[in-house]
Amino acid sequence: MSLSRFLIKRSLQGLFVIWGVITVVFGLRFISPGDPANVLLPPDVDPEVRAQVIAELGLNEPLYVQYWDFVSGIPVGDLGLSLVTRTPVASRVVTKLPATLELAIAATIVAVIIAIPLGVVSATRRHQPADYSATVFSLVGISTPNFWLGVMLILVLAVQLNLFPTSQRPIGIDGIVLLLVGGNLSAAFDGFTTWLWHITLPAITLGTYFTALITRLTRSGMLDQLGQTYVRASRAKGLPETLVRYKHALRNTLIPVITVIGLQLGTLIGGAVITEAVFAWPGLGTLIINSINARDWPVLQGSLIVVAVGFVLVNILVDALYAYVNPQVAYD
Amino acid sequence: MISERTRRNLRRELQRSLLAKIGIVVVVFMLAMAIFAPFISPYSPGQQNLENARQPPIGFSTKETKEVTKMENGSVVIENGQVVTEEQTVYTNATFAHPLGTDGNGRDILSRIIYGARTSILVGLFGTSLAALIGVLVGLSAGFYRGRVDDVLMRGADIMLAFPSLVLAIALVGVWGQAQAPIPDPFVVSGIAPAFRSAVGLPTGMPETVVLPGTVIVVVALVNWVWFARVSRGEALSIREEEYVKAARALGASDGRTVLRHVLPNAITPILVLATIQVAAIILLESALSFLGFSGADVSWGFDIALGRQYQSTAWWISTMPGLAIVVTVIGLNLVGDWLRDALDPGIEGEGGV
Repeated sequence: MSLSRFLIKRSLQGLFVIWGVITVVFGLRFISPGDPANVLLPPDVDPEVRAQVIAELGLNEPLYVQYWDFVSGIPVGDLGLSLVTRTPVASRVVTKLPATLELAIAATIVAVIIAIPLGVVSATRRHQPADYSATVFSLVGISTPNFWLGVMLILVLAVQLNLFPTSQRPIGIDGIVLLLVGGNLSAAFDGFTTWLWHITLPAITLGTYFTALITRLTRSGMLDQLGQTYVRASRAKGLPETLVRYKHALRNTLIPVITVIGLQLGTLIGGAVITEAVFAWPGLGTLIINSINARDWPVLQGSLIVVAVGFVLVNILVDALYAYVNPQVAYD
Repeated sequence: MISERTRRNLRRELQRSLLAKIGIVVVVFMLAMAIFAPFISPYSPGQQNLENARQPPIGFSTKETKEVTKMENGSVVIENGQVVTEEQTVYTNATFAHPLGTDGNGRDILSRIIYGARTSILVGLFGTSLAALIGVLVGLSAGFYRGRVDDVLMRGADIMLAFPSLVLAIALVGVWGQAQAPIPDPFVVSGIAPAFRSAVGLPTGMPETVVLPGTVIVVVALVNWVWFARVSRGEALSIREEEYVKAARALGASDGRTVLRHVLPNAITPILVLATIQVAAIILLESALSFLGFSGADVSWGFDIALGRQYQSTAWWISTMPGLAIVVTVIGLNLVGDWLRDALDPGIEGEGGV
């Protein structure tokens, strides 16, 4: 199978999964007890008014009509209206997206910057104190619930030592970019430092699990590579050890590591939801939790679709990258 | 079902690895704590004592400044028609009655951690069992029948995987509400635990029921079965090509019998390793749901961490202690998982395998 055929097949699979996701999310409303009309109306409302509201919401239509309305809106970005605010769900989700993406990307950067060197050091100094510390760190890191880590960071660094703010996001990257475009450089710089100051603790909270995970993966991958024949051959032909380690072994280690980072994106988004709850970070996670508490089904459904579709798209991208770097995959 | 060779590998790996020993000790300790909670818990987890609220753990004391009514000669001082208040510094010392301190309502934190272990372990074990049941059934069928069955089942699994597990769990619990089943605590109902407690002089009045968080168990299983499906499918794909499976089918064994008697026993090792790690993952998931207030549990480590947040500037231990309990338990389970994996080397892929 050629690369392009592999990509076409993968995209078709992805499309199918996206359709499945949309259908599952549509079905969520029907497994929930209670009528969406009850969210809008007081319990003692006049039956006529009630019937009118139900008709306005389209809830008395046959199921296939409702399903078609739901599905056909999605490609054009119509996710329906919020039951509570009566505003388009899509625009609410889009306004919350930057905060979550920013947090997820910051956490990934923290994780990659710390984990890959740590994993390499751990593998190249196997059974030395550095290796043991890295191993213990990664064991504790994957075993710590991130919300508790967040609470502890707030407790020590924000409340006791007053080094960081406890919560909130006064400005985002989108706001900073606007300031830059407006030519207000000093305000943009101030905005950036404020942003950095506020995102540090949430990024560490969200990033620690990934740091631990990637450290483990890099260590085991690196150990695996260093035991390969080509490493012995390069050493035998007299290549400097740094070149052997960092140019050859590390490169081959990183390919599977990148795949796992892509696969773990779902965990990252899930982690972002709870991290947002800890730090009152106004992103998609906060939106999801609020919409559940308010029984605002359309907002919950819209957010779930955006998260799941994003995950599927990123995975196709990672697969494509993987197949490009390692063409063998496409032939399997 | 466990062969002599497997047992030998397990024993050898255990002797070699200190971490495996630590893991087993931790897991056994936590299990014992959960099972024997009504015997060892100093108080009932719900017993409040507002006068004793926010007592620090042993080794710490707190200093708090309070606004109190000014008293002189046993009567309230009134100036200009107003009750006069003054600032008073109150020192609270730890006592051995509450080794880990008390929470905002004066409940004993150690007792809450001991009883919280029950919630975590119940959800961990039942949730994993249910997830394994669904996942193994789906995975073995997909791998055994291949073809269209495989396609349909595994695409279904792909759809489940597209949802981040925590997000899906929150959505499902939010949608379904919080069904809970109180099951009677055999030690308390039979009178053994109360008799033991009054004999050694511990306060009685322990809760008679253990709350089984039904929705949470179902939801964590629905969210996590996919990992079992993937692993058991992979195993079934290779085992179905083995001679003994072909022989069984040639002898006329039904599909069900072949899968249960020949495929499943040979796929059990990686499933067990995955299950160990999944108990840890599900305990983390439960604590996250409880932290967000979605699980409905009122004695749970995650829930207590959330409760402690309102006292984060005055009583750090309320949030800290239950979190440590989670970390220790999950580390223990991960160590046991590592031990099983290193001894049995099943080469698991996916979330549990790293």
